[in-house]
Amino acid sequence: MSKFLPLFDGLSLSKPLASMTAADKNETAKHIWEHESLGGIAENNNPLPRPVVGLLLLTFLTAMAWTFPLYGQRPSAAMYLDYVTLMNSAPVQKVLSDKSMSSADRDKKAMEMIVGELEQKDSKYSFQRIQHPITMNDLRIMAPKIIELNNQHVDLEEYSIIGRDVSLANFEGNYRADGTRIHKQPWWDKGYTTAVCWFLGFCIAVIIAVKRLPPITWQPDHTIAH
Amino acid sequence: MLKYLFAKEKDIPGGSAALFFGFSCLMWFIVGTGLGSFNAAKLAFPDWFTHSYLLQFGHMRQVHVHTVIFGWIVGAFAASAMYIVPALGNTKLWSEKLGVWNCMLWNIGLMLALSTLWGGLTSGREYSDFIWPIDLYIVIFMVTPLFTNIFMTILHRRTQGIYTTNWFFAGSFFMLIVILLIGNAPEFFHLTGLNEAYMTWWFAHNVLGLLITPVAAAITYYIVPKVTGNPLYSHRVGHLHFWSIVVFYSTPAAHHLMSSPLPEWLKSFASVEGVLILVPAIAYVCNILLTMQGRWSMFVENVELKYTITGVLLAIPLNMQGGFQQTRAINWYVHGTGWIVAHAHLALLGFSTFAEAAAIYYGLQTLLRRKLYSLSLANFHFWMLLIGFSLYWVSMTIAGLIQGAAKIYEVPYLDVVIAEHPYMIVRWLGGTLVFLGNIVWLWNMYMTAKHGNKIEKGVLPHQVAYVR
Repeated sequence: MSKFLPLFDGLSLSKPLASMTAADKNETAKHIWEHESLGGIAENNNPLPRPVVGLLLLTFLTAMAWTFPLYGQRPSAAMYLDYVTLMNSAPVQKVLSDKSMSSADRDKKAMEMIVGELEQKDSKYSFQRIQHPITMNDLRIMAPKIIELNNQHVDLEEYSIIGRDVSLANFEGNYRADGTRIHKQPWWDKGYTTAVCWFLGFCIAVIIAVKRLPPITWQPDHTIAH
Repeated sequence: MLKYLFAKEKDIPGGSAALFFGFSCLMWFIVGTGLGSFNAAKLAFPDWFTHSYLLQFGHMRQVHVHTVIFGWIVGAFAASAMYIVPALGNTKLWSEKLGVWNCMLWNIGLMLALSTLWGGLTSGREYSDFIWPIDLYIVIFMVTPLFTNIFMTILHRRTQGIYTTNWFFAGSFFMLIVILLIGNAPEFFHLTGLNEAYMTWWFAHNVLGLLITPVAAAITYYIVPKVTGNPLYSHRVGHLHFWSIVVFYSTPAAHHLMSSPLPEWLKSFASVEGVLILVPAIAYVCNILLTMQGRWSMFVENVELKYTITGVLLAIPLNMQGGFQQTRAINWYVHGTGWIVAHAHLALLGFSTFAEAAAIYYGLQTLLRRKLYSLSLANFHFWMLLIGFSLYWVSMTIAGLIQGAAKIYEVPYLDVVIAEHPYMIVRWLGGTLVFLGNIVWLWNMYMTAKHGNKIEKGVLPHQVAYVR
């Protein structure tokens, strides 16, 4: 395997925290490092300062936290199906056609009724609905599209609300014979496990790469070649 | 140049290709910034030059962008690589003749590319604007010969080790071929819709992320240890920088399309990787600034280091912006505004240009073996570039924030145009300072070639030029 993966060629795991290369290979590397001039440039073998390591860890945590879908992730059409149903119900339509109020007041009151009604029900979308409140105007615009999609019996969770459009935004895996997807990520994992695996793979590869160098306790003597 | 095109390899003096690329990129830089100044004037003074179809902003903007990217930036990379790579391998350039041909074909290709673009022949996609025959020309006659020459020089080096700079040169020039071929797929295969949008921004992002910023960094990895005489702070941190560029910088293209109906998982993944761009940035800046230990006085005294370290310092705000402006919360505000224009200029005119200017100053003196004609003019150029860039960056950043607020609060478009007018004038002023400074630079380098004091063999130009 090592022939095809040089990263693992001569890998030694006897003292992995110091070096992952056999002692004789390290001695060869040290000799080259000290006796070879790369166009008059020399290199030291310092580790990253510890505060900078802390900064890198903070960067990773920030990357994961900042982009978590509490902020800005597009809502799915499924979240608003109940809104549309309630909008078309008799009590809400009665409010919406009440000429004694201004149109803004009618919309506000109707939306309060819908939200109040939905709060009484237990729904898997409760949390996301708090994150993505909607105005009556927006609901009117998207309602016909949501109804049309619902009549086609498609999975509304695969559709996102994008501006004034309701667009297909899930492309994971093929369809089963019954028209459902083989795989669909939950709302809280839109690429996050992929990102964590990607990051871990990077860490493992880079740690092995730098641990194949002579240990950080050794610094080259540049007076030899320069 | 012409006399070397058909000369035998042994009759072409070493460094010829680098010299030709060096002077040609300088001239393209003047053309590119001149076009930029003209374009900015059209935004600052909208009634200026409205009579000519060819001189409309819609025609000129792309010409400015590609003159600067392929004429100045990548041209300066070619010049730098052609003298730095052999130096680091204790060898000669693999083929000076190929280098000279490469330079000629580069300039012919660029003239063809810019003429067609100026004439209105365009793919219509930002950054990958050229039509497909031009794309193929760029791959076959411009970038592949460059990569071949650099890669073969590294292969024929007379050292066992390969210095950090050369990892970036070889990797980035190879990736440029891949980026051009895959990124222009919508043009080759008539892709439309989201596929087209994604590939367009995959191209645009990777031209920056896998070519311009890594190669600019590679130059500073050479200039700082070479001029200061200090060893590079850490070979292993160089590994962290290189591999984190490969892993994190190649993946976040979707962060340019956060408002599009791309799959949410792709946008989230791209956004996480987008913030992780800070990993190579932190490793790089840390490595270079720690290499300066004990030599910080040279930041003031030495003109190459003045440019290099200014570029490295500009990489800090560049990456802080780049890491976070693509997250959903901030992208919502700044997307499609002048903020992004300011950020692009921070990358290309700030970090990257300062690094390349250092490489051209250092390289031309070393190759010509002549002392810089005028240090005062070099300092004048530095300040023109820095002040001009700063005016541009600050004014466009403010203009972008105004546009962002206006976008969210649905302010009428014409009110936004009026609010931005002062900043458009400052933008023009900054760009014009850069343009004028570059003319002074070309004059200084021309006079260096003609009348600069000759340097004896074995003495490096910076050793005789700036020690007071």
